[in-house]
Amino acid sequence: MLHVVLLRLALGLYSVGLAHSVLTALNRKQTLFRPALYAVMGGFVLQVSAIVLRAAEVHYLPLTQRYEAFSFFGALATLGFLIAHLKYRIEPLSVFAFPLIFVMTFIANLFYDPSSAIPQSLRSHWIYIHIPMVFLGYAALFIAFTAAIMYLIQERALKSKHPVRFYNWLPSLDICDDLAYRSLAIGFPLITLGIITGALWAEGAGVVWERDPKVLFSFLTWFVYLLLIFYRLIAGWRGRKAAYLYIVGFIGVLVTFLGVGGIHSFNQ
Amino acid sequence: MQLALVGVSHKTAPVEVRERLAFNSETLRDALTSLVRRQDIHEAIILSTCNRVEVMAESPDDRLIREFLCEFHQIPHESVSQHLYSFRNADAIRHVFRVAASLDSMMVGEPQILGQVKEAYRVATDAGTVGMHLSALMTRAFAVAKKVRSETGISQSAVSVSFAAVELARKIFGDLTGKTVMIIGASKMGELAAKHLKRNGVSSVLVTNRTFERAVELAKVFEGAAVPFEHFTDHMAGADIVISSTGAPHFIISKTLAEQVIHRRKNKPMFFIDIAVPRDIDPGVNEIDNAFLYDIDDLQQVIDSNLKERMKEASRAEEIVDSEVQAFCLKMQSREVVPTIVQMRDSLERLRREEIERNRRHLKDLSPEGQAAVDQITRSLVNKILHTPTEYLKQMAQDPSGPEVADLIRKIFNVKTPE
Repeated sequence: MLHVVLLRLALGLYSVGLAHSVLTALNRKQTLFRPALYAVMGGFVLQVSAIVLRAAEVHYLPLTQRYEAFSFFGALATLGFLIAHLKYRIEPLSVFAFPLIFVMTFIANLFYDPSSAIPQSLRSHWIYIHIPMVFLGYAALFIAFTAAIMYLIQERALKSKHPVRFYNWLPSLDICDDLAYRSLAIGFPLITLGIITGALWAEGAGVVWERDPKVLFSFLTWFVYLLLIFYRLIAGWRGRKAAYLYIVGFIGVLVTFLGVGGIHSFNQ
Repeated sequence: MQLALVGVSHKTAPVEVRERLAFNSETLRDALTSLVRRQDIHEAIILSTCNRVEVMAESPDDRLIREFLCEFHQIPHESVSQHLYSFRNADAIRHVFRVAASLDSMMVGEPQILGQVKEAYRVATDAGTVGMHLSALMTRAFAVAKKVRSETGISQSAVSVSFAAVELARKIFGDLTGKTVMIIGASKMGELAAKHLKRNGVSSVLVTNRTFERAVELAKVFEGAAVPFEHFTDHMAGADIVISSTGAPHFIISKTLAEQVIHRRKNKPMFFIDIAVPRDIDPGVNEIDNAFLYDIDDLQQVIDSNLKERMKEASRAEEIVDSEVQAFCLKMQSREVVPTIVQMRDSLERLRREEIERNRRHLKDLSPEGQAAVDQITRSLVNKILHTPTEYLKQMAQDPSGPEVADLIRKIFNVKTPE
């Protein structure tokens, strides 16, 4: 299976990114950034090729298995990082993004199942809209989450008056805040559309989706982000409290995505 | 190459001594030309700043430079000798690298010194007192300084109150363009901090003071607007950075006031700098979300920790300098002995060819393999003969008697002096 080989190679390249993150956290100074960036770019190309090959193999959007879903999400997270990097050039972002990319791809490698059978309930054109929307949204929200973490670290350093530890390589509060909000502005409409398309799909397939834990959690998560946008627009909410909500929201995303199983309960 | 360096710096001499030995732009050129006119001084550069006076020269003896310094300034040698330091060869190279990399500065890592060294080099080049040795040294010194700067954090962090203020503001706002600073009270330090902020992009300045005339005056300096002291709280919501330095005996900005202002700003962040003693701003302001308050002690703390960080980085910089000195010495040495080695090799190789040529008649009878063997044998013989003197030369190049050894070897192998 060439796509499995490609994915393992991609994982190998992503491990350079992981090494960069670990070394940077230990040294408190960007270490190995350039090689890691190129390795992750190379890994991304391999991963996308793997996904395309898998798609050709199953003649379907390769998203019905955990192997496929995690790999797909890993690729989108990489894409999200690369776009944010092109726009903002915030190298510290990589410290948070590279381990996630690595972990997603690693999990994908664990769950490989050679069968290419697709559950009947997932055979629908909605899959081409629903899952990419949701995953792209997740990738954007992940960037918002890392921006919020960087904000909190930097804010704490500034408030504590001991701003030496992470001070020099973290971006300014303003940039963290801006990055988080913009990512939310991209991610929120995407997950909104994801939820709507998911509902339409389930309705069409005639399944009872209202009690699916994944659906419930995605509603909760969506509501947290809605609150964030609402208060930002009305009261100019930003800073620490907003950063906490970004984190809560992303925990919701993770629970929805990982905790409640790879696919919806009604598909098992 | 024989390097000698003599100088005084803030570390070895009080200002009274440094100023007596200093050169100004008028005397510098004369000094340089009269230096190289002396016997055994071939190239010279003089660095004269308020913190140091240093003469480096391509010369075998640093005493010549000491003599020159005293004669030129007409000072008896005894009165300054205890303050003067001298370095030769590798030590001189190390010193030059350290000075250029700002490791020997009063404020380690300050960037001005590199510019001053470059200027000294330029002046000496113009005066025609720089040759290939000093020019190689200086070019390397600039590269080392650049390397130290980019590979260590030695000059990264702010070490003065006004720079620390700018640095912190950057950490909050990122770009300072378009930001507004409000100065409350008219102290020198507040003015200085505002000046630095303005130079770093802050676009508008509001000034308020108990005496309105003073506010107007200061506002003029910054091309800003004066605000009557009674109404300054009304304008505060428009300010991103507030610098307070009044002589008020109590807080003039309370936590409640700051909360209101932040609310009015729709939570846009605010940076309060309180450089007044007694303090002007309630320390509780720092607890408000999106408000950051630094008083004079906090700023000092930032500076102190930056200084500590600098010291740590400085020791990494010293390692870089060490390895650079070694590399440069090696390069210089091989530059001196390589011509002799090449000539030796050429001369023996010529002998070998001549011998083979002369015996071609006898060699003709040999099989091609035999001929090749003769060629091989003679070649390896030449190599073996050359091996010991070559190694010895390389070794002795670091020794003061190196030039003599090279000379002797050239005589033994009957090759001419290079150049």
